[in-house]
Amino acid sequence: MDLAYSPRQQAFRQEVREWLAAHAPAERLVTLERKDGFDQHVAWERELASGNWGMVTWPTEYGGRGLDLIEWLIFEEEYWAAGAPLRANQNGIFLLGPTIMEFGSDEQKTRFLPPMARGEVIWAQAWSEPGAGSDMAAIKTTARRDGDHYVINGQKTWSSRASFADWGFGLFRTEEGSQRHKGLSFLLFDLNAPGITRRPIRQLHGDPGFAELFFDDVRVPVGNRIAGEGEGWKVAMATAGFERGLMLRSPGRFQATAARLVALLREAGDNASPGLREEVVRLWMGAQAYAYNTYQVAARIMAGGSIGAEASLNKIFWSELDRAMHRAAMHLLGPAAELQTLPDGRANEWLEGYIFSLSGPIYAGSNEIQRNITAERLLGLPRVGAG
Amino acid sequence: MDFRLPPESVELAEAVRAYLAGTHGPDVLRQLDAGGNRDLRIWQGLVEMGLTGLLVPESEGGLGMTLLGGALIARECGRACLAEPLVDTALVAVPWLIARGETGDLAAIAAGEKLVALPHAVNPWIADGEGDELASVDPLRNLVAAPEDASDDPLLLDLGALMSAAQLVGLAEAMLDQAVAYAQVREQFGHAIGGFQAIKHKLADVAVALEFVRPVLWRAARAMDDGLASAPLHVSHAKYAATDAAYLAAESAIQVHGAMGYTYEVDLHFWMKRAWALAGAWGDRNFHYHRIEDAALGGVHSLGPQHTFA
Repeated sequence: MDLAYSPRQQAFRQEVREWLAAHAPAERLVTLERKDGFDQHVAWERELASGNWGMVTWPTEYGGRGLDLIEWLIFEEEYWAAGAPLRANQNGIFLLGPTIMEFGSDEQKTRFLPPMARGEVIWAQAWSEPGAGSDMAAIKTTARRDGDHYVINGQKTWSSRASFADWGFGLFRTEEGSQRHKGLSFLLFDLNAPGITRRPIRQLHGDPGFAELFFDDVRVPVGNRIAGEGEGWKVAMATAGFERGLMLRSPGRFQATAARLVALLREAGDNASPGLREEVVRLWMGAQAYAYNTYQVAARIMAGGSIGAEASLNKIFWSELDRAMHRAAMHLLGPAAELQTLPDGRANEWLEGYIFSLSGPIYAGSNEIQRNITAERLLGLPRVGAG
Repeated sequence: MDFRLPPESVELAEAVRAYLAGTHGPDVLRQLDAGGNRDLRIWQGLVEMGLTGLLVPESEGGLGMTLLGGALIARECGRACLAEPLVDTALVAVPWLIARGETGDLAAIAAGEKLVALPHAVNPWIADGEGDELASVDPLRNLVAAPEDASDDPLLLDLGALMSAAQLVGLAEAMLDQAVAYAQVREQFGHAIGGFQAIKHKLADVAVALEFVRPVLWRAARAMDDGLASAPLHVSHAKYAATDAAYLAAESAIQVHGAMGYTYEVDLHFWMKRAWALAGAWGDRNFHYHRIEDAALGGVHSLGPQHTFA
């Protein structure tokens, strides 16, 4: 165990800090759940890419810097401390990118990864269907083989970023009559392909962050399939692991929220009840614990280990921590909590954040599913009702 | 930057876990409870494992391990619900004596000939001390009133709190294991109750709590090894979080056991009661909360993502 950053890591931190100080937007961007805000966030992705900061852990030939997970954590810490924007590119760089890296062919890596790192192609997820939410193996949307193409028919829903994104990835039933997790394949598709209709869904906050996707004889080249035909479930489970696991939510984000929450508590002064005070201190402790845990997992992965069902513990922890931090802020704000713009003229980021935090325990596999996974795969409790 | 536990410390802890699992099961706790509370043969076994000399320098006949290595062993003592005063003697008193330069008794401690229970002003009572016995909820605690001239040394307090936190983590892990084992075999409505989501989710919550306490504990131990100014904060974080995890594990485990959990017959109660006792020792939850609050809200300790290891 060595809890000191090396001189190289310290120099890297300094480099990140200086670049962000010079380049991060001074003004808060419009929410990326709206077209104008989405465009602002994509512009920021391209600014990041211009400094070669798109995804620092990727190999240089794909647009990364070839750095390790500790350096990624340092980058993320500086990123969130600088108050830099949310990542429009998140589905690509944190979920699909690692999936292509693990399962894609060399041709697919060359074709898809560099434009992803440059923020030129923004990716949407397409997992859920009207009848397949938590029970993802109930997917019905078909991709029928026709020569060197698949022909997709069906419907996806809750597709994150799909209102404005360029490409999508998801699971489709490529074997006719197949059941459950068999006969599925992992396909990449152009969201502007003929036969795709996007219907934006107005979310809780009023903006159209995700969308329904309707597929009507959409032709997708076989070369857009990741891994073998029928191997989609295995690939999707790996993607879900990235999502729940290390990459999607780096601790820096929650530590930044915790620090802002402590500042809000100080502003509230004696108005904060002792219970709320203790809650804020507990939440700061939680953010620290999440960071320590992530550093442990990162060190384990760097030493050749992997993250398995433990990713479910992570997902439960950060999503409920995030919700609790924003809830505490709502209580601290008191009557101002309901205002979209605070009396001092600032946007009420806590309200926006609280609404967003309510989605955390639902997406990427609901926390009920994560608790099942924890109980069955980590604790060894029996499965009932699922064979 | 590498936050993995040292392999040699983990290996030793695994050996201690296997030894205690083989020699110090619930039947031993019941025998102790039936009379005596302490057993020289158990102590002798710990001495032969070298555990009394864990933190004693090699020059004095010990293993010269770090506090981090010691915390890993204290966790195993909690897991086995060990009643012998190994933690107080070998993992709290020894490092304190070394820090003060009082090395005269170290060889005797390492040889298992001397047991030390150090009083501290924060503890109104003390286990395995001299005097009239007080009735603790923990039947194996051997509690007496603390002397009035006890030290108020902050290092001693941090050592005691750190090792209590480590035991609480081990106790909580053991209680979770017992609840899982029971849920796997107890059948109702034609199924093992562990198949029901109400049970699964309750026990998953305990697993989550423990997953995010352990690294706090290692962080605290390492901060003490490194003599960081922020070590007291990290120790308090560990003790506070371990206390909550242990209470959660205990309440969840008894609930999963149903009415059986409310009996003296099921082993769980030994672990639960030790957890209640240790939660209040070496600074209770309020004490440690205030230390954390002072550091986190007081402006002295740096907060935010750039200060993870401050």
